This record gives sequence, structure tokens and C-alpha cells, in this order.
Amino acid sequence: MSGRATDLAVAAGFVLVGFAVVVAPAIAVQSGVLNAGVGSMDTDLLAASAAAGAAHVALAWRRLRDEERIAARRLHVWIASLNSLVVLALSASVLLLLVLYWFPDEHASLANRGFPVSLLWAGILGVAIVLAEATARFFFWWLEPHRSPTHGPGLP
Amino acid sequence: MNRREFLAAGVGLVGATATAGTLAGAVWPLLSREDLVPGQAPDIQLTPHAWRTGDDRVSFAALGDNGSGGRQALAVAEQMAITYQTAPFGLVALLGDICYYGNFRRRFDTVFRRPLGPLIDAGVGFELAIGNHDNALHFSDQGLSAIEAELELLGTPGRYYTTSQGPVDFFFLDSSIPGLYGPRASEQLDWLDDALASSANQWKVVALHHPPYSSGHHGSTPGAQERLVPLLSRHHVDLVLSGHDHDYERIEPQHGVTYVVSGGGCKTTRVGRSAFTAVSERTLQFLHVEVVDDLMTATCVRPDGSVADRFMLRAREGT
Repeated sequence: MSGRATDLAVAAGFVLVGFAVVVAPAIAVQSGVLNAGVGSMDTDLLAASAAAGAAHVALAWRRLRDEERIAARRLHVWIASLNSLVVLALSASVLLLLVLYWFPDEHASLANRGFPVSLLWAGILGVAIVLAEATARFFFWWLEPHRSPTHGPGLP
Repeated sequence: MNRREFLAAGVGLVGATATAGTLAGAVWPLLSREDLVPGQAPDIQLTPHAWRTGDDRVSFAALGDNGSGGRQALAVAEQMAITYQTAPFGLVALLGDICYYGNFRRRFDTVFRRPLGPLIDAGVGFELAIGNHDNALHFSDQGLSAIEAELELLGTPGRYYTTSQGPVDFFFLDSSIPGLYGPRASEQLDWLDDALASSANQWKVVALHHPPYSSGHHGSTPGAQERLVPLLSRHHVDLVLSGHDHDYERIEPQHGVTYVVSGGGCKTTRVGRSAFTAVSERTLQFLHVEVVDDLMTATCVRPDGSVADRFMLRAREGT
């Protein structure tokens, strides 16, 4: 496999796993609904998760391709992406769980007034994606060689 | 690999392993098991006092473990309101755990008023058999005051009591330790013995949170079959309703007494079968019961209106 093909395959793998961990909490909730014997189920959370997952795919794909172009070593891109996936997986699920568990009455009150729960859901996933992107960029910056600042002519 | 690369890769690999374990082992099962996602309360207008209660007839519903206030609880409550439209009932026997994720006083609107609003507005009465999540800390002042606040908000007279509706005498018990099975249980058991002995109605229905017989997640309650079951058999109790396990189970009559677990008010857990099992199903549900003279017809209803089980009993005192 050529270096370019490897880059593409690894990048595709990272973004697909990222998509999966963004959608996983909604799948967990829906599996609970299915196990509960409810005939029909709302798919709004799945749709919100799929939208957030797609946004993550677009952001991460662009970052990965940019980093692969400028990286001193490909390994730096992959290590940074692995760390960002960990943050994404953990924050997407745990943030949702904590927010839903600690503020159930506030959410129930909002939902009862017609506020779409899917917006809250997508918003939390959005925070997880931002955290994951920040992690990827930090690790990539930290791993890459840091050049000494150059001084212009005439300066001491 | 230089030192930074080694460190960053190590953090990533250890983090990935730990995260996969935490998510698959704890977080995703919790999201799947709990009813945390909020939803909209049922918007149904019911005809007030549409039920018929007389000396020979009464209808009631039994709902257990419904205290989440989430979408699944709302789906069950909505189906109860829909069922009321065609088969009205004047009483809901709450089988405990009416409030999860916090204090009942604070969560009253979310877990009680909103989901059950149509029934409350129609004048339906609610009775409570205290559950372990209604506050298990009976020994503490804080626990006791939380329970008393619950009883006050629901308008129920005490931690264990009897009430009559038509031809049925109901006995609501506090089955939490030490309420019924612990070392200080004799007070309530003595009271129950006397209350059952003096019951003059055709039907005797006992409601308590912890099931004497169950094949669910928690299983049969230790001590119940030794201490409570002989009492129920001796006094010819017709039906025992319980919750605690988040499923529906009907037990083959034990010494003439029919036991039902109706704990699918908002979330579900796995249920198996035992030698004593007649019907068991992992499902959200409530029980609708209609008593006419010496015939009781009970129907286990899922949130989509489908029937999980239906059974009929003849009054033991009436045969």
C-alpha cells in the first residue's frame, strides 16, 4: 500500500470510529427503548447524533488531511488522532449522561414547554466534538518539532 | 520514537483501553437501562369521575417503579390515560419507587404531576406502597422526613394502611427493611394479621414494593416467603401486587394466592422464568384490574396499548 493510500485509509478509519462513538449514546438509548417493548420510538436523538457525527467527520477529515500534508512524521498525526478519539468517545457519552442525570427536572421542564430535546442532545455532542478537536490540535502541535523563532535583519 | 511520542502514544493507548471498558461496561448500559431522556407530558382531557364503583364493582390500576419522569414513564402514563377513556378506573395503586434521581418534593411535578396529570385532573385517587427509592434510609430522620413528605404530597394516611373500594379491601405495606422483613418487622406484620382478620369485604388485595416471588433482576425478596407468605395464605388473600423488579411477572397461585410483579412503570430489566412463573416479560407496562362481584379481570397493558397478559380470578372468600 502506498503512503498516500495508507494516509487515506488511516484517516478514514479515524473519522468512521469517531462517527460511531458520537452515535453510540443514541443507539444505547434506543436499544433500551426497544428492550422495553415500546412499539414505536422517536428517532430524533439518532438524527441529532447522525448530524453531529457528520459534522465531526467533516471537521476531522479536513484536519487529518491538513496535518498529513505538513507533519514531520505521520505518526504524530495518528497519535494526536488517537488521543482526540479518546476524548471524543468519553466526553460524548459521559457528558450526556451527567447532564441528563444531574438536571432531569430542568430538561423535563424545557421538553414540556416544547423545546426539542434533540437540540440539547446535539449541543452536548457539539461540545464533545470541540473538545476532541482541541485535543487533536494540541497533541499534534506538541509532537511536531518546534522551530526557533527567526529574527529579521537589523534586529539585535 | 522519542520521549514525547512515546508519552503521547502511551496516554492514547491507555486512555483508549480504559475508555472502551468504561463505556461498554458502565456508561452505555446505564444510558440503555435508565429513563433519562425527557419528553412531553400527555395532553389528554379525561372525563372526571367516569368510573363506576359500587358494592359489587370497582376498577383500579397498578403502576410500579414509575419515578423517572422520562419518555418511557410518560409513554406508560399516556397509555394509562388512553385506557381510562375506554375502561375508567378510580384508583391507582402505586407500587413504590415513585421518584428516582432526586427528592420527591423537588421532583413532584416531573415524576408525578406531569405524567399522571390527566388522571389527577379526572379525580383518580392514588395510594402508595413505599419503595426503596422513595427513601431507603428509614433509620435516619432525613429518610423518614422524605417518606413523610411523599405521603403528605400524595395524601396517603401512613406508611402502611388499609383502604376499601367497592368489594375490595386494599392493604398497602411498607416492605422496605426494616419495615416488613427486618428485625423490627413484627409491628407491621402484627398489624397486617389483625387487619386481614377483620377484613369483611369479598376481595383482599395486598400491595407492597418488594416481591415475595420474582425471577427478575432482584429476584424473590429474602424473608418474604418465610414471614409474609404464610400470613397471606392463612387469610385467603386474593392478589398480591408488587414492583421492584422492572418487568411484568405473574406467579402461579401459591397456596391459593396470586402474585404479580408490575414494575415496568418507566424502565426495564431482564427477567427469567422459575418453577413458580406463569408469565414473565421484560416490558414497560401497567396493570388494569376490573372487579365485578366475585370475578376479577386483570390486564397487563404495554405503552402501545397491546396486551402482555390477561388473567381472571374468582374471589376466594366468595367460592
